[in-house]
Amino acid sequence: MSQTDATDAADGMGEQTVSTTAGETVEETRPEWTDYDAAGEAKLAVEDLDVHYGDDHALKGVSMDIPEESVTALIGPSGCGKSTFLRCLNRMNDRIRSARIDGTVELDDEDIYRDNVDLVELRKRVGMVFQSPNPFPKSIRDNISYGPRKHGELNTGLVARLLGRDDSEAEEELVATALQKAALWDEVKDRLDDNALGLSGGQQQRLCIARCLAVDPEVILMDEPASALDPIATSKIEDLIEELAKEYTVVVVTHSMQQAARISDQTAVFLTGGELVEYDDTEKIFENPESQRVEDYISGKFG
Amino acid sequence: MSRATESVLVREGRSGYEAVTASAVGLSGLAFAVGLVALLDIVAIDAPVAGVGLSAALGATLLVLGLAVVGFGAASRLDYVGTAPQPSAGVVAAGAFTIVWFTAAVLVAGAVGITGVVGLVVALAVGGVAFAVTAFPREDVGSTLPAGAMAVLGGLALATGLVGPGWEWELVAYNATLFGDTAVPVVAMTASLLTGWAAAKSYGGFGARGRNVGAYVLIYLVVLSILAVLVGLLAFVTIRGLPGLFNGFAVGGEGLVRWPFLTNGAGLLADTAGVFPALVGTIWLVVGAVVFAVPTGVGAAVFLSEYAEQGRFTQVVEVATNGLWSTPSIVFGLFGAAFLIPRFGNQKSLIAGMLTLGFMLLPLVLITSREAILAVPDEYRDASAALGVSKWETVRSVVLPAAIPGITTGVILGVGRIAGETAPILLTTGGGVLPTKTAAASVLGGFQLSASPPFVTNPELLQATSALPYQLYALITAGLSGNIEDPQQFAWGLALTLLLVVLAFYAVGIATRYYFRRKLHQ
Repeated sequence: MSQTDATDAADGMGEQTVSTTAGETVEETRPEWTDYDAAGEAKLAVEDLDVHYGDDHALKGVSMDIPEESVTALIGPSGCGKSTFLRCLNRMNDRIRSARIDGTVELDDEDIYRDNVDLVELRKRVGMVFQSPNPFPKSIRDNISYGPRKHGELNTGLVARLLGRDDSEAEEELVATALQKAALWDEVKDRLDDNALGLSGGQQQRLCIARCLAVDPEVILMDEPASALDPIATSKIEDLIEELAKEYTVVVVTHSMQQAARISDQTAVFLTGGELVEYDDTEKIFENPESQRVEDYISGKFG
Repeated sequence: MSRATESVLVREGRSGYEAVTASAVGLSGLAFAVGLVALLDIVAIDAPVAGVGLSAALGATLLVLGLAVVGFGAASRLDYVGTAPQPSAGVVAAGAFTIVWFTAAVLVAGAVGITGVVGLVVALAVGGVAFAVTAFPREDVGSTLPAGAMAVLGGLALATGLVGPGWEWELVAYNATLFGDTAVPVVAMTASLLTGWAAAKSYGGFGARGRNVGAYVLIYLVVLSILAVLVGLLAFVTIRGLPGLFNGFAVGGEGLVRWPFLTNGAGLLADTAGVFPALVGTIWLVVGAVVFAVPTGVGAAVFLSEYAEQGRFTQVVEVATNGLWSTPSIVFGLFGAAFLIPRFGNQKSLIAGMLTLGFMLLPLVLITSREAILAVPDEYRDASAALGVSKWETVRSVVLPAAIPGITTGVILGVGRIAGETAPILLTTGGGVLPTKTAAASVLGGFQLSASPPFVTNPELLQATSALPYQLYALITAGLSGNIEDPQQFAWGLALTLLLVVLAFYAVGIATRYYFRRKLHQ
């Protein structure tokens, strides 16, 4: 402990003793290099976010602003809380019963953790792509149109046809647009009725991205989207992410520092213990980080 | 033994040995299969084979096999062929041979009249020798000698006619008689199983590879016998049932097909007695039970696995459901008789039977649906939730479709059980034993609309009716036969019809499952 303390002190990591509501006192570290104003309007503003899984304090007082229409990379070693942080941004952690979340996350100046927030609406605006490709066991077309259909934006099928409100053409258009945006259209346009599980891993992941785009989100969260893929599929996904950043706010968790350096505009470094240690322009983080710990991590000495 | 010889990767000069051992394995398999067929009464044991009876031919085969197997062991022990035996055949093999030889000794001692303590001591001594012979010599001798010797003894007994057609042994203590046509196949199957195993081990050159091949042959022969029992049972019922089922069957004439057994009742006026009312009754019972149990069971499973907090409550429900599934059917029948019948017109009725069978089917549908729903990957739920789709929509559009194959499997298994249930029907539904054609329930035509509540009524559902297992039971135990010319033939035809009805329900279920699997994975 003393060793770490010394390092922290040398880093300029101010230590404070904070009393919690339970009356006990804990030592808490306050990273100094996270006050970073990215260029552009903040899409998501996170303030003092704490996450507990039961007794496990997974994320400690994280605050950061995520600017719109850019790629923000979250890097750090396994178990540092970066995926937890990502899942807080569209309240996917609500699905874990033992999770307790404190702090605020504002999407366009509206706190998503207030009572009465419509989770359906929130997740329509903040979409998510998972680590391993998880298409539904349905046809490619049905995978894409699943979201809009469930939101009542597309009516197809017998009843719709009988009522004369068949949106089959709209569906075709939506499927085509989503697949084109996800750079998958040329590969699958002739077999939209085939089962999505028959696609390769990289294609499945792009299908998942297309499925996410089909509900027209503003923010896309990606949890290590390329970690289960081969290098060629990875590079396709990376190109796609850069393309998407022109229209969407992309937040991507990655294990690969090279990947973060290649695709992101700003990078947040989480280190063991669930703290955000440094958040800055990607170039700055990789070339001249302020924190000694971040430099150690990036140069491979730690983590 | 030096490592150099133990670690040879390719053993030269064994092709002749391998050919001989392989044909011994094949011959053992053949003898086993013939024994099985004879045990199932498909061929008689005195059927002529190459001039002698089947029994004697089997005996000669066993004799040859036994000697050959002993020869394989000796050839390996004397290093005529390159093998890799281990120091001992092992305790498991020794234990197995002890049991086999002990049992054989007990039987032989009994048959020749050595009984009491002397017989037991002799048998124990034989078992002990078998253990020693298996466990103490090197593996190649230990696993071939006891097997070969058993086959030689059995072969001698069969070949000399000591045990053969007409042989019988009265087991006084058990009040039973053992006949040759059971004893001969059993001896042949036991001995050929042993020689097959030993020959397979020799083929593999003993050691790890030999044991592997030996286990392979043993498992295949056992699987063969299980399949044979299944096929034999079906064949048995089919052969006996066909004459009854096709009694009076004709193509052409008035109507396209005349099939009185399936289209007639068993009343006095029917020219050929048939099972139509019972057939209709069984089909309606199963349909009614499925219509009741599947929605409720699947609904409960969805609640338990998707909505309820996993914990004490779900555990209690799980235990209760498992208990309900293993509850004897007569208990369900009593429940139906005491609870349902007073609520549905105070007489036995079709709907009481449907609900009783539905209650029986419910736990299995619940258990299997729950397993199937839990087996749907969480990734699908996550993906759906991340698209902003509500929980119920997710369950309806993603989870349930992915679980349908599993749910169908449960329904198939359950239908097989309830279609053949007799006890609950006896107590809740059973009407006339020999119903006329007009007594058949016409459920679809029975619906009546009325202007006052309950608006829709169906008197057919409230009437007692017959069902296949019930009629079969009544025919056999009560001995009622009415104007049926040949009750025995009628009963077998009835059994075959029941079997076919169950198989038809299976076929529907399996087709459904296949359809949804294809839809999910292609």
